[in-house]
Amino acid sequence: MSEPQERRKLVAGPLSKGDKWFFRTTSVAAHFAFVLVALVLGFLLIQAWPVLQSQGLGFITGNTWAPDQKPVVLQLGPMLWGSLLIAFVGILIATPMALSLAYLIVFMLPKRLAKVLTTLVDLLAALPSVVLGLWGLLVFTPVAATWAEVLNKFLGWIPIFHVENAENGFMRSPFIAGWIVAVMIVPIITSVTREIFSQLDKDLINGALALGGSRLSTFRKVILPTSSGGVVGGVLLGLGRAVGETVAIFYVLNLTMDINWGQLLEPHGGAVASWILARFGEASGTEKQGLMAAGLVLFIITLAVNYLANFIVNKAQPWRKN
Amino acid sequence: MAKALANQPWRKANHQRRFEIFIASLIPLPLVAYICYTQQLNPILSFAALFLPLQLISASIVGYKAYGRRGIGDAVLVVLTFFFSAFVLVLLLSVLSSVVIQGSQAISWQFFSQNNVYVSPTTSLDYGGVGHAIVGTLIVVAITTIAAVPLGLAMAIYLTQSQSKTRNLVRTFTQALSGLPSVVSGLFILSIIEATHIGRSGITGAFALFPLMLPTVARVAEEALKLVPVDLRYAALALGAPNYRAFFQVILPAAKSGLLTALLLGLARVVGETAPLILTMNPSSSTSVNPFGGGMTTLPTYIYNYLASSYETSQARAWGAALVLLILVGFLFGLARILGKSKSTKSKATK
Repeated sequence: MSEPQERRKLVAGPLSKGDKWFFRTTSVAAHFAFVLVALVLGFLLIQAWPVLQSQGLGFITGNTWAPDQKPVVLQLGPMLWGSLLIAFVGILIATPMALSLAYLIVFMLPKRLAKVLTTLVDLLAALPSVVLGLWGLLVFTPVAATWAEVLNKFLGWIPIFHVENAENGFMRSPFIAGWIVAVMIVPIITSVTREIFSQLDKDLINGALALGGSRLSTFRKVILPTSSGGVVGGVLLGLGRAVGETVAIFYVLNLTMDINWGQLLEPHGGAVASWILARFGEASGTEKQGLMAAGLVLFIITLAVNYLANFIVNKAQPWRKN
Repeated sequence: MAKALANQPWRKANHQRRFEIFIASLIPLPLVAYICYTQQLNPILSFAALFLPLQLISASIVGYKAYGRRGIGDAVLVVLTFFFSAFVLVLLLSVLSSVVIQGSQAISWQFFSQNNVYVSPTTSLDYGGVGHAIVGTLIVVAITTIAAVPLGLAMAIYLTQSQSKTRNLVRTFTQALSGLPSVVSGLFILSIIEATHIGRSGITGAFALFPLMLPTVARVAEEALKLVPVDLRYAALALGAPNYRAFFQVILPAAKSGLLTALLLGLARVVGETAPLILTMNPSSSTSVNPFGGGMTTLPTYIYNYLASSYETSQARAWGAALVLLILVGFLFGLARILGKSKSTKSKATK
């Protein structure tokens, strides 16, 4: 036996020319995501800067929109607040529905039915918002107005259901807009929650049931706590969508600069995205810049909400890491 | 009896108990229907305010009889779950049925073939149609697709095939983009139009849809590429194939149906977008196939314009266009489903 041969070193060969190009092109394409976000922010900022500068902080806190006045006053407060209010109402309505749908799909239905239901919910997500707006305006608003009337009749003593003047009718209120938004975000929350539920440890649930827990106590004390992160993330994703919703709300809400702090049944409210659409047609010069600034504010809000949402969802789904 | 059963939760429900559950879930229905009919109440409201509590009570009683105290919790959760889920389905069916019923009244052959020239809001439904809007939608969405799909695919390749350190950052930004409100996307292109003084045309509309389609395509394509077993890629690389060949000749064919799903879901995402197109395109009532100049109408903007007037015929036109749009979306969506299904069966077969 001679001396053991010198070990051959394992050397990775240099990338071929084709590979270099392959990775270079895909890398350039991938980083276009940064460029696009930067472009959107940059172009909007350039257009919006004069207005932001002249209006200052009042742009997001004040409640006057007077493009014809001299000096021009453009303030967005009621719309911003309205967007948040409607999104909040939408989430309040959508979350129980989405949670029950996810529970039904994952824990109760036989596989085949569960698949059918999943498809139906996904179909709901694919409905164009203009179609929902059409339905909301012509079909849903009259129905929801009677709900609102009854709510006001029996629960009118609660401030949020109080109405100053019932003769104005109950149409075009944040309540109805909240319902429309809820219909849009139910599928988003459902799909995230369903994913989380289906990955839960089945032994944990069976253990809770074996210890004498009912379905309800198992849901409250085992399923919800272990999946709460994902559910909250899903809700935030829904919030991001709800804040940016434009056309559907435009049809079902009476947009006014008269701020509506939380009287859900009053027939007026606000939504930034819909305000942009509503004012765009007759806007010129400074007002157009004001709308750009509104878009910028909207984008920054949704960016923050979505970032938080994705962070939470990804944290709650460690099995999805790459 | 109840006590004995409560101690034996493993025993299957017998016929008597099935019968009890059946009766208990049925009792509230005629009761509520009767009250509703005699008192002239709103059906949906009485459903929520009367039927739900009654159902909860009756189900709880049966649950208690069958399983003891834990039966109440079971009953409450089951009833609430079914109630809320049914509510969502009712809303969905209401949307679908009203679009189909109202829309089918406007639909006829010339509704597809004719355009909107010489049509006023009160013109009878025998004249005019959405032909120009269908053509416009197809052209605008096709341009967006040509731009967004290769880029989205390249992003997905980068996220799955490379080992670069910036992948997580790219993923974060793609997710951020997918939350971009559609109206902001429109404003973005509008600000470019203002800055460069190019005219509003079909192509600016297509560009406004681009930031909305890109993240959808990238994310779904990434998921599809992840589903391909990594061993396939390693095998190809071990045989001496360069990365790009391993991708184009091994991974791409394996992920084909998933990538098509990405394309279709991306299409379904943008085909119904309204706000960005209103901001970046001029409407036109004649059929236009030139995306580089002049106006162009798409199905969503057609609906938007006709919904603005409250005449019955214009609303009927809006419903008709909504039906056409829904058929288009449903077609894309169904195709994506079928392809997605064949993908999952294939991956099962390879396992």
